Amino acid sequence: MRMLNLGAMVLALASAFLLYAINYDTRQLAERVKAQERAIDTAHSDIAVLKAERAHLGRPDRIEPIARSLGLRPATEGQLVATPQEAMERVQGSKTSAAAGE
Amino acid sequence: MSAAGPRAPHPGATHKPRANGPLRTLVAMAVVFLAFAAVAGQLIRLALDGQVTMSSTMSQTVGQSFARPDIVDRQGRLLATDVEAYSLFADPAHVIDRDEVVEKLGAVFPDLDRAKLRDDLRDRKRRFVWVRRGLSPKTAQRVHNLGLPGLDFRRELRRAYPGGALAGHVLGYVNIDNKGVSGIERYLDESIGVESVQAATLADRAPVRLSLDIGVQHAVEAELADAVRLYQAKGAAGVVLDVRSGEVLASASYPQVDPAHPTMSLDPVRADKLAGSTFELGSVFKAFTVAMALDGGYVTTGTLIDASEPLKAGRFTIKDLHAVGRPMSVADVFIHSSNIGAAKLGLLAGPEHMRSFLKRMQLLGELKTEAGTIAPPQVPQKWGDVETMTVAYGHGLAVAPLQFAAAAGALVNGGYEVRPTYVKRAADAGNAKVQLIDAATSAMVRDFMRRNVTDPAGTGKRADVPGYSVGGKTGTAEIPGPGGYREKAVISSFLASFPMDRPEYVVLVLLFEPKPTAASSHKVLAGLNAAPTTGRIIERIGPLLGVTSADAGALPDGTPFDVTSSTK
Repeated sequence: MRMLNLGAMVLALASAFLLYAINYDTRQLAERVKAQERAIDTAHSDIAVLKAERAHLGRPDRIEPIARSLGLRPATEGQLVATPQEAMERVQGSKTSAAAGE
Repeated sequence: MSAAGPRAPHPGATHKPRANGPLRTLVAMAVVFLAFAAVAGQLIRLALDGQVTMSSTMSQTVGQSFARPDIVDRQGRLLATDVEAYSLFADPAHVIDRDEVVEKLGAVFPDLDRAKLRDDLRDRKRRFVWVRRGLSPKTAQRVHNLGLPGLDFRRELRRAYPGGALAGHVLGYVNIDNKGVSGIERYLDESIGVESVQAATLADRAPVRLSLDIGVQHAVEAELADAVRLYQAKGAAGVVLDVRSGEVLASASYPQVDPAHPTMSLDPVRADKLAGSTFELGSVFKAFTVAMALDGGYVTTGTLIDASEPLKAGRFTIKDLHAVGRPMSVADVFIHSSNIGAAKLGLLAGPEHMRSFLKRMQLLGELKTEAGTIAPPQVPQKWGDVETMTVAYGHGLAVAPLQFAAAAGALVNGGYEVRPTYVKRAADAGNAKVQLIDAATSAMVRDFMRRNVTDPAGTGKRADVPGYSVGGKTGTAEIPGPGGYREKAVISSFLASFPMDRPEYVVLVLLFEPKPTAASSHKVLAGLNAAPTTGRIIERIGPLLGVTSADAGALPDGTPFDVTSSTK
């Protein structure tokens, strides 16, 4: 009986400690989850800012002068064909028209 | 864990029945069990409660704003998005030196209303005063570095428009709480839905895909800006419309508005000229007069109309700019843009039929797009013979250019109704097939428009672009002013469509009050300013839209075709 009581007490203490440990771990995990969520939010926000910045850098009124200063021009009708075969024919057929469409 | 509790009493209950009596043992076991249960319960409660109290301390409850979905163009390129920004507020109860706060903040924000801020800070019962919202991280850091007590930041969402003023009129704008006020931004609030948020939480809705194409939009805006410079016009507007689906690919009104600066759109000079105002468009309207006469069977392509004598209409006389002095065919009326001829065609049909025809073409009713209701047309109060004659050549009926372009789409696409939209439509969800005019009539109008560009005498020959088979109609309309029309102030317009053998797009360009500059041979005729501008636009956007050379496989004149069988 005494051994049994003692055993029960040890078991009780052990389970109490175990509960505390698990509780503590849970809190720590919850903290980590929160931190991760915050990191995700920050990353989302950063992505939004970066997307906006990329779109801002790629806006046509900025690209156009840069492209023109590099000697580029808007594409012309002569650069478009419906099929790859047509493109080959055009290149082989007349070098001059291909050059004009460049 | 709780399983350990119930198991404990069982061995005790069976092993020690004799020593102290079964009841006593049972009571002791029950007490011990309850005690453990209480401990376990408390632990569980703490484990759960702890989190609740933690999160409740983190929430802020002041202010409210809206998280909006992104707006992208038809190819997914960003037009509007939410970004986090800092907003500065003050807690008057914690401000120690009011004058110091006002002084130092004034150094960071030169346009700060110092007297108002001083007043706001004087009331210590208020715990919350906005100082400035939507600060960049850099400015926020500068304020933070001042180290003033009683100032704090809240992170909020701000709408950003990476394209600057690109498509500003279509996008509209939002207010300080990120709520849509006009244009597509308002459409998001009303039809797509925005989320009310307390802090800077980005919306997780899918982006809204517009029908606009950034490349085409920019090309149109850039060419309009060039045209305004070349012809010293007061303003310009241009629209590119897909006549098969009704999608608006570009919609530009110059001078532009920047959605990031909502006050700009209050300036009447910057008003939206495409959908927000109505104009008497002049001769471009003859396309409808001719279509009406042909569709109603009043004339055929061979009918001759005598346009040699000026026509009396009430108290004024209709004259032609370049009188031909001989009977002309319907095609000649169109190509030489004869006012007399158009007026006579109008009279042939009569007021009743003209009115019902224009109504059927959606030119007299109210038209809506996602960006709001288009300015309703101004229809003559009484519609007699005189009005019929003037409307026939585009005067007396004022209509918003976007509505006009949509109606013109039906003239060239085989006669189907075109409902303009700013939101991308699925490939198969095109026009509800409402036939407005006969496909054969549409083919004849296409033929006239093409000839107006290819004919050496045609007014639209400067709009021709090799390879795209452009067709079009010019219009030079005097602007009504106090006491009649103003001689020198005109709206110069060009209605174009391409490729003409299988029209995909309608382009409408308007120049407001252009001057007779060297670039237009010192004249203010649409054929010399609006037409070449349209040509330059088509030359630029054709490759962007993937329109390939239309010379091959052209349909014979007059052949009706089915718009849905288009392979593109």
